[in-house]
Amino acid sequence: MSAAIELRGVWHMYPGSGRWALRDVSLEVAEGRILAVVGPNGSGKTTLLKIAGTLYRPTRGTLRLWGSDFWAVDGDERLRLRRLVVYVHEKPVLVRGTALHNVAYGLLLRGAPPEEALSRARRVLERMGAGELAGRERGQLSAGEAQLISILRAVAAEPRVLLLDEPTAHLDLEKRRRLASLIRELRGRGMGVVVATHDYLLARSIADEVVVVEEGRLKARGPPGEVLEV
Amino acid sequence: MAGEALEIAARSLAISGTATLLSSAWSVVLAYLLARSPRASRLLVPFLEALVGIPTVLVGLLLYLLLSSQGPLGMLRLLYTPRAIVVGQAILITPLITSVAYRVLTHSWSMYGELALALGAAERQAARLVFSESLPGLAAAVVMGFSRAFGELGVALMVGGNIRGYTRVITTAIALEVSRGEFGLALSLGAMLVAILVLVSLTLRFLGRLREQ
Amino acid sequence: MKPRLLVVLAVIVAAAVLVSLTQLGAQTVRVRVTTTTSLYATGLLDYLEDQFRKQHPNVEIDFIAVGSGEALRRAEMGDACMVFVHAPSLEKQYMARGAIAEGRIFAYNYFIIAGPPSDPARIKGEDDPVDAFEKIYEAGEEGRALFVSRGDNSGTHVKELSLWEAAGLDPRGRPWYLETGSGMGNTLLVANERGAYVLTDIGTYLKFRKDGKIPNLDVMVQGGDELLNIYSVYLVPTCSGEEAKYARMFADFVAGEAQSLIGSYKVDVYGQPLFYPAQGKLDWLAEKWQELAGG
Repeated sequence: MSAAIELRGVWHMYPGSGRWALRDVSLEVAEGRILAVVGPNGSGKTTLLKIAGTLYRPTRGTLRLWGSDFWAVDGDERLRLRRLVVYVHEKPVLVRGTALHNVAYGLLLRGAPPEEALSRARRVLERMGAGELAGRERGQLSAGEAQLISILRAVAAEPRVLLLDEPTAHLDLEKRRRLASLIRELRGRGMGVVVATHDYLLARSIADEVVVVEEGRLKARGPPGEVLEV
Repeated sequence: MAGEALEIAARSLAISGTATLLSSAWSVVLAYLLARSPRASRLLVPFLEALVGIPTVLVGLLLYLLLSSQGPLGMLRLLYTPRAIVVGQAILITPLITSVAYRVLTHSWSMYGELALALGAAERQAARLVFSESLPGLAAAVVMGFSRAFGELGVALMVGGNIRGYTRVITTAIALEVSRGEFGLALSLGAMLVAILVLVSLTLRFLGRLREQ
Repeated sequence: MKPRLLVVLAVIVAAAVLVSLTQLGAQTVRVRVTTTTSLYATGLLDYLEDQFRKQHPNVEIDFIAVGSGEALRRAEMGDACMVFVHAPSLEKQYMARGAIAEGRIFAYNYFIIAGPPSDPARIKGEDDPVDAFEKIYEAGEEGRALFVSRGDNSGTHVKELSLWEAAGLDPRGRPWYLETGSGMGNTLLVANERGAYVLTDIGTYLKFRKDGKIPNLDVMVQGGDELLNIYSVYLVPTCSGEEAKYARMFADFVAGEAQSLIGSYKVDVYGQPLFYPAQGKLDWLAEKWQELAGG
């Protein structure tokens, strides 16, 4: 079985930084599994996720999505592949408009008819018990609410693999619990989920597998019970 | 005299307004291209930022040498016309608008461009979102450009010639009245200039607020 | 959006704006005229244009006010069709090079030497401006007086330099000799503030004096052929077509029909004329012009 996302020998350096953010990273991500990426701040977790999410082109190495070399294909094929993977930034960025419009935004970008996109977005909001946020403008949402909306926006777009960068940073306990069960539910529907976090508890409780990143390198990989000793 | 002052103000607005539109058209495109190509921007942006303070009279002189009937572009017969001022001011404010717009668009791209791409947008859709979210910042860049064009003297004097009823704008009229010793008149023209600048800035701010709602 | 598409779009917008701009205002004939600042600042030229346009409403006389030297240089570059100047020595050089032609003297007045009422160089009432300059030099060297110069190659500046030359002196670089490099008005203000002597045209002096801006500058030396200020109009041979035709008509107008207008211009304001018409004194003026132009 070929992996959904495959990084092979990836090195990355931000222009002008003069140091490697990632060094020789190879990693596969499968559908229907939850992978936690843990490590201290600045270890390269975000860079790893953004490269997997096609936002950054790696300085060296290859990114394969469902077997295709992403940066070697072009035009429509590249767009089709990009739409299979959605990355969610740690800091929620909402577009102008209501929370509902935001949750529908990924569907609208994919050309869904507005009415259908909005009704699907509303269902996603309600399933998370956040239906009352639908009509709020972006300026009227708390940091936690905005983070939830930005995660649900990615969920509503129905990618095959979801990349979550520190998804619990602004969430209270109750929302964390709901998010954890949402992630499990998505796995149940066959979606692959990658969670970058320094929240070891979250990683332990939901991950099928954990990788540890330190100073741009993969340090360890395995089931949470083995990798994350308490 | 009041009638003449209004006529001069209207001409200044038309000339600097056209120059600003013209310059914005290419400056914002240039800024977007720079925001999307880090390598080119590392070379070009410091250069552009340095040119923000280029003396207006230097731009005026270079343009004069180009447009003079013995110059390489003399056959256009643009010298001492309002068009020459428009072109000169458009060039003058290009570094300013481009470097401010570049900062706005770079910031906006890092937020909204990445967001759109992450959600599966095509480059065109991402650009549309980036521009839409950058409008207030871009408007500020354009207002700054207009302000510099409207308040500059060197270009208007060198290539416009301060011709009564034709290329006389507020700043060249101020310079003339100062040389004539009509300080009171020069001051009222200056007050008019500042009032118009404030009015333009406030109008755009107001339009921006309407859009937010 | 594809970057290339954006570029194309921007180029189209820019081109459209430029094309629409070049279409504007093509119907009237515009005559480009460079002129000296002090002459333009009196308002006489605008006044004469208004009178001329009563007969030729389709003509716009575009006055570009710069120093005399700059006015002639721009004409030589082909950026003017007609020149109004008052610097005979410069005029002669440019005529010899063929840059300007068909010169006509249309007006004259007198420069004056102004200075602080305390008159530290003791020049008040001096008949000969060259003697006055010698005294100023002497007083300057002794640290008793200052002199402010235009320093901008204008007609007034050229005149001032010729007076120093006639005295056999070179004040440039001396600590008491200040060059402002700016217009007559600003130079008068500097002289007024510093209590310095200054050579000025009568028009600017009267205006600033009447407005109370230069209470510290009295007339020290006036009149006399040495301070004669002769205004001429020239056509530029490289200029052609309708523009040249109307330029010639305007020159004819200024040297002919308009002569009485020149003599009475702003007499009601200052109680004395700013300019004297050249008509009737052309032989005398031509001879003086030759002297001023330096043989």
